[in-house]
Amino acid sequence: MEPENRISNKALTVWKISGLISCSITWIISIAVLVLTIIFDWTYWVFGALIMISIIQSYLAIILIPSVKWKRWRYEVRNTEIDIQSGIFVIKRTLIPMIRVQHVETKQGPLLRKYDLASVEISTAATLHVIPALDLTEADELRHYISRMASVEEEDV
Amino acid sequence: MSEPKRLHPIAVLLNIIKSIKELVIPFLLVVVIPGKNEGIPGWIQPLVIAIIILLIIGNAFLQWLRFTYRMEEGEFRIESGVFVRKKRYIKFDRIHSIDISEGIIQRIFSLVKLNIETAGGSQADAVLSAISKSDADRINAFISEEKNANNPFDKDKDEVADNEHEAKSSSVFKQTLPQLFVMAATSGAVGVFLSGAIAFISQFDEMIPFERIFKDYEDFIEMGTIILTLFALVALLVVYVLATLSMVIKYASFTVIKTDEEIIISRGLLEKRQLTIPTHKIQGIRIMENLIRKPLGLATVYIEYAGGSMEDKESLSIMLFPLIRKKHLHEKLLEILPVYETTTEMTPIPKRALSRYVFRKFLYLIPIICALVWFFRPWGYLSLLLVPLAIFWAYMQYRDAGWSIEGNLLLLSSRFFSKQTLIMQRSRIQSITYKKSWFQNRKELATISASIKSGITSRVGVVADVEEKDCLIIKSWYLPQKTVDSQ
Repeated sequence: MEPENRISNKALTVWKISGLISCSITWIISIAVLVLTIIFDWTYWVFGALIMISIIQSYLAIILIPSVKWKRWRYEVRNTEIDIQSGIFVIKRTLIPMIRVQHVETKQGPLLRKYDLASVEISTAATLHVIPALDLTEADELRHYISRMASVEEEDV
Repeated sequence: MSEPKRLHPIAVLLNIIKSIKELVIPFLLVVVIPGKNEGIPGWIQPLVIAIIILLIIGNAFLQWLRFTYRMEEGEFRIESGVFVRKKRYIKFDRIHSIDISEGIIQRIFSLVKLNIETAGGSQADAVLSAISKSDADRINAFISEEKNANNPFDKDKDEVADNEHEAKSSSVFKQTLPQLFVMAATSGAVGVFLSGAIAFISQFDEMIPFERIFKDYEDFIEMGTIILTLFALVALLVVYVLATLSMVIKYASFTVIKTDEEIIISRGLLEKRQLTIPTHKIQGIRIMENLIRKPLGLATVYIEYAGGSMEDKESLSIMLFPLIRKKHLHEKLLEILPVYETTTEMTPIPKRALSRYVFRKFLYLIPIICALVWFFRPWGYLSLLLVPLAIFWAYMQYRDAGWSIEGNLLLLSSRFFSKQTLIMQRSRIQSITYKKSWFQNRKELATISASIKSGITSRVGVVADVEEKDCLIIKSWYLPQKTVDSQ
């Protein structure tokens, strides 16, 4: 049985944009090499290889990975535990009992803020778990809910 | 005890030694290397050295002068710093252990080093590098008294190894000297020592004119290689013996004492160390069996413990039994930490997982072999010998992987080089993760991992390719039922 909640639709857009940003670096390098190749009369295969890499990277980072990642990402917060599923090629399920949660926080980078999203970070004494993109209101509610549930039990690490 | 006190003046010497340790490399860079420069007059270099030494001594003295400690208003207060004044106030309630150790210098002047540990690692601990034993005892008694007075109902009250306590307790584990030698001789530390020695020797490569020596005796060049090999072997042996001895000195007279609420581990020949660990801070037990020890039926047991600090590497992995016969392990554990007593056999991982263990090795191996064969044509084929080795390694890993649940305990066992068995209490596990790749999914296998807190980070037990159904068993065991069970 999979956890039932999905993360925000807009996460897909955010991931695509950040994929685009990381790809643009490779593209800039490729173009720089092309210019140098023309000026200094180098052989073209270096440029060719770079273009291939750029195209493959763009496909992976902008199209494939965000959508697979988004499909895979699920979470569910129940009364006594938090259940998180993630992963691209490897499906990963993490269980965190509520009583282990030390604190919860929401975070917003510039990209997430633009789309009114926030990530939720759940810390236990030893580990950190992140739900990457939720609607701001949902994230806030979740933070309140978890911290309220977590504070019920007080235990030694 | 509220008037500010200083450390024993011998702390000045300790400060000097500390700054010399820190300055060795920059000192060499500044003084030794430009020594070849011709332009600088000869007297400059001694002058620079003299100034540096004066600065070090002056700084050490000022540091000692500025360093005061006192106890007032339920806090341990330290003020220090020459240019930047630091005030560190530690609430008695936050103190969870006080360790006393004696270095060589401290022992000469019959002083001790007192280390006050707080819970988190982020908060720096207080170190009083040289105080008299009576002062240490006074601090100990005072803090524990205050703590008890403040919260009489706190069950973790007396975390201090006071004398009264020690009288009640008896030593439950002692490492004998012959055992210690075996332990040192079979420890991997030799490898670390060896690489250090090689790095050190290679520094002298340029100083010893090997080439010139051999040019003069070209006839003996073949002899030369034999001598060189012999020399290398002897050097290896010497390093091995040195490493063993240093381990023996470090862990000599290793004793574990158990009291009601804590475990006291003391060890050391030249530098005595005493570690006090409150039992309730123990998160788990780790049993390690390395390549040499496992066939001999020997194991090392570590305590995973929430606390300790970043700077003090020793407190991050604490040996409970440096070396113990596997068959005595459980009975000893029962004496010291009965919570972690286990009897059941491990559930092995299924047979169909073996091929995945082999496959994983080949994933890394094949590119390496291809590259070696391609670039070093005739000799590269030797790398094919890695194949049976890898299969054997994979088989060992497969054989030693397993898990078991026993009451409130989860045991995860796996091997990289050494076999590691992590024993965790349910109430100490912070989170459980299981993951499966596409290939694993096809075979209905999954990788399970559980994290506990250890030091300031975490220790993770991982077993790859567990039966998927078993993961669900572990999951339902882990998740709290309707009634949340506490320890």
